[in-house]
Amino acid sequence: MRGSGRAALLTVWLLVLAGLGLFVVQRLQVSTDLRSFMPAPTTPDQRLLMEQVGDGPGSRLLLLAIRQSGTAATLDDVAQSDARLATLSKRLAEKLQHDHRYSQVLNGSFALGALDPSLLPYRYLLSPTLDTQPMDEAYLADQLQQRLEDLSSPAAGMLEGLLPRDPTLEVLKLAERWAPARSPQVRDGVWFSKQHEALLLVQTVAPGFDPSGQQQAIEGIRHAFQALPGSAGATLEFSGPGYFSVLVAAQTRYQADWIGRISTLGFITLLLLAYRSVSSLLLSALPIASAALAGIAALTLVFPAVHGITLAFGFTLLGVAQEYPIRVLSHRRAGEDAVRSVRALWPLLLTAIASTCIAYLAFYASGVNGLKQLAAFTIVGLLVAGFSTRYLLVRLLPVRVRDVADMPWLVRARGIVDRLPRPRWIPLLVALAIMAMLALAPGPFWQNDLAALTPISPQLLQRDARLREALGAPDVRYLLMLQAPTAQGVLALSEQLQPQVDRLIARHAVDALELPSRYLPSVAVQEARQRKLPNRATLQRDLAKASQGLPFRPGLFQPFVNDVETARQLPPLTPQRYAQTPLGQRLAAMLVHRDGHWLGLGTVSGVHDLAALQALGRDRGGTMRLLDLKAASESLVAAYRTRILQALLVATALLVLTITFALRSLRRAWHVLAPMTLATFLVLAVERMVGIEISLFHLIALILAGGLGLHYALFFERDTGDPAEQRRTLHATLVCVLSALLVFGMLGWASIPVLRAIGLTVSLGVAFHFCLSILMAPHAHASKD
Amino acid sequence: MLLLSLLLPLSANASAPEPVTTALAPATRALIVSLGQPAPARTAFAEARFLRVLDRPLVISGELAWLGGDQLQRRVDKPRLETASIADGEVTVQRVGKRARHFSLHRAPQLQVLLDSFVGLLSGDPARLVQAFTIQRSGTAAQWTLSLVPRDEAVAGSVVGIEVDGVGKRSRCMRIRQANGDLAVDLLGSLAAKMPLTPTRESLKALCQGGP
Repeated sequence: MRGSGRAALLTVWLLVLAGLGLFVVQRLQVSTDLRSFMPAPTTPDQRLLMEQVGDGPGSRLLLLAIRQSGTAATLDDVAQSDARLATLSKRLAEKLQHDHRYSQVLNGSFALGALDPSLLPYRYLLSPTLDTQPMDEAYLADQLQQRLEDLSSPAAGMLEGLLPRDPTLEVLKLAERWAPARSPQVRDGVWFSKQHEALLLVQTVAPGFDPSGQQQAIEGIRHAFQALPGSAGATLEFSGPGYFSVLVAAQTRYQADWIGRISTLGFITLLLLAYRSVSSLLLSALPIASAALAGIAALTLVFPAVHGITLAFGFTLLGVAQEYPIRVLSHRRAGEDAVRSVRALWPLLLTAIASTCIAYLAFYASGVNGLKQLAAFTIVGLLVAGFSTRYLLVRLLPVRVRDVADMPWLVRARGIVDRLPRPRWIPLLVALAIMAMLALAPGPFWQNDLAALTPISPQLLQRDARLREALGAPDVRYLLMLQAPTAQGVLALSEQLQPQVDRLIARHAVDALELPSRYLPSVAVQEARQRKLPNRATLQRDLAKASQGLPFRPGLFQPFVNDVETARQLPPLTPQRYAQTPLGQRLAAMLVHRDGHWLGLGTVSGVHDLAALQALGRDRGGTMRLLDLKAASESLVAAYRTRILQALLVATALLVLTITFALRSLRRAWHVLAPMTLATFLVLAVERMVGIEISLFHLIALILAGGLGLHYALFFERDTGDPAEQRRTLHATLVCVLSALLVFGMLGWASIPVLRAIGLTVSLGVAFHFCLSILMAPHAHASKD
Repeated sequence: MLLLSLLLPLSANASAPEPVTTALAPATRALIVSLGQPAPARTAFAEARFLRVLDRPLVISGELAWLGGDQLQRRVDKPRLETASIADGEVTVQRVGKRARHFSLHRAPQLQVLLDSFVGLLSGDPARLVQAFTIQRSGTAAQWTLSLVPRDEAVAGSVVGIEVDGVGKRSRCMRIRQANGDLAVDLLGSLAAKMPLTPTRESLKALCQGGP
């Protein structure tokens, strides 16, 4: 009967798990936007930072370099390889130009295609020529004379096709205007670096912090490149924020995967060694599986999309839950029903579960969406794991088990632990050591720079800096913000600012500052230019007079006359209409609608005189200011940390209350909380002493380790007066400590700073918590009594 | 082998050196070799350009100089001073009172052809000429015409062919025909002074192929 009852329970449990699994598979939407793991912005600057990090023009920029594979031996080889690379660059640009995934492709070649053909008559409204120069007979005569000279020059071939439609070369003026302010040197018609790489700039439509969108964009470029004839002998290299986000995502997944695999294997081995029972091992996996599935199911109910990182870290954090089955397994007595063993254990286990959940509430209070998800996932998971261990697992475990208390090595180990000196001054000594280390530690205490957490290798970052410098690509650090109620207001503001910006550039305060009006003048300016365009009769008369005595074929400039007439009647180009063309996409990234007003984003490169740049925004009534993305991100991190610390304080207070209430004794609560607190600060002190600057992830890891340490202290503090039970406690704790050390120690080997921070901190924490819990446990004397 | 497979798919500048030199008739070969001069070599020129966009030709005159290697300089004296230099695949155009302009030789196929033919002839290097053009010779040893057709497809799309007329060991005339019907006729050396005030295609052809 009992056997069939267990089989039924097991079947039902597995069916429920399968149902949950099905539900999760159908509902789960995994998001990859890394920003949901960034702190929630509070100030306008921080909000902008978050947007810019993901959507800004700088973050969508991919820097491409095409290099010759191998090295060229002679100067002749270099020249030949340059020509080949130039051809590749041109063909790649041609292919990408017509791909909807990219809003702008620049490689230095004559950007005649810069203006969409359907917008060609708009050139007279977009180009500033008419602002200073009426299109009259004198101007036309001068222009025609110049064209005639051009026709006799070696460049004539380039000009001839353009001449009938555009004798004033307005298209070229626009192409020059839209070229990057500081272009690299042009060889064989395209940009080249000093290292003989052909350079391209590609702006993606996908935001920079959308790794899957960026992945597609990068794959698209790679495919297009590989399909080019002759690409086999050359290498295409990428750089830029989008590329890095793809790289980080892939690297994190890869490392988390292999670390996860190794630690799972180790974990299984450890449990098999500890309990010598395959069925116990398999059954004890059920609470964890239930926890994971229930956690994800809860997330899909509460949040529209679950972040990939939540899942990855969530499973790591759920490792704590493995402790519940372990405790039950270690505390079983020979011949005793598991249900009865667990009854004695449950109050303590419940205290442990409740206190860990409280610690994770701190994550929830952080206000970061990703961390909230993490907290919800872990809390639901821990509760499910705890309760399913208590009420389901124990009914399934085999009746006959080995009592671990009788293992000879455990008896010896417990003896050693009991004989350890436990002087009362240990807490004092540790506290003093902590203070000394914290005081003497080198370097700043907090790591505010998010960039320091990037797993991108210094070589890649150096290459990025080199390409950015060569291409004159804007710094990602500074942005000039223009604010107005309407998009046209922003464009007008940008136009007013242009002369001042030109002066700054002339003074070399900055290398370049690109304003939105560079790509689209305001409607007012366009209309003013429109009014200056001569009507058909006037133009035809002036043109006839201007070309008198010049050899141009009669009627040659009819397309020009037609275009001017069209331009006179065009509705002015608005950002909306412009947005359908590639260049309009470029503008859209610099002109954003936010909270009922419009923002223009000026990109800055090569800042030499910061004060002069900041002065630009002064006396403009808040319509303009310089945003320092680095400062904003640091303030964001600092604010974030303050909130986490506050949440931690609250969590600590709740924890003290919970423990005191559960143990119904301040003195006992002290024996649990003191080692935990000391160990936590000891980890902090040791990490500071070896020169680690404390980041948010160290804090999060400290909370996790604190949760584990609390369990150790709680169980060591348990006053049973039964030496066998104390041996079982030691056994369970040893298994828990070893498994935690295994999992997090492996994480400490990762090359991703975030994973390493967590791995190292938790490993150290687990070790310190264990040692201090033993050394400060009260009932060593009791057991000797 | 590997290098060859890398080069083959590329047409732009690096047309693979096929072993076509042998296809050149010995007399043609001898003629080209006999035209060679030591660098730097300078010669006066007068050019008439017949362009679609113009109803009468543009006439310029000045001096062409081969400075050795792939360096060529074209100085225009009339109607306005302008110097164009080709070096390392880049063209630099300098006009009085204006900033120098640079552009790639690839963007001016006309100049590429001029460079290839001019340098090939002045250095008396049949191999170099054959690399860039298919060559045919007509006329007599005393008065000859070399027809050069660019091998490179990109160049041929813009320049259909060049005829070089010469007498004895001297080239006198280059006629560059473009795909769009434009024609540039360069009179070289002493013939440069004989550019008519209002040249026509026919009168120049007669001048080029006329007696010494």
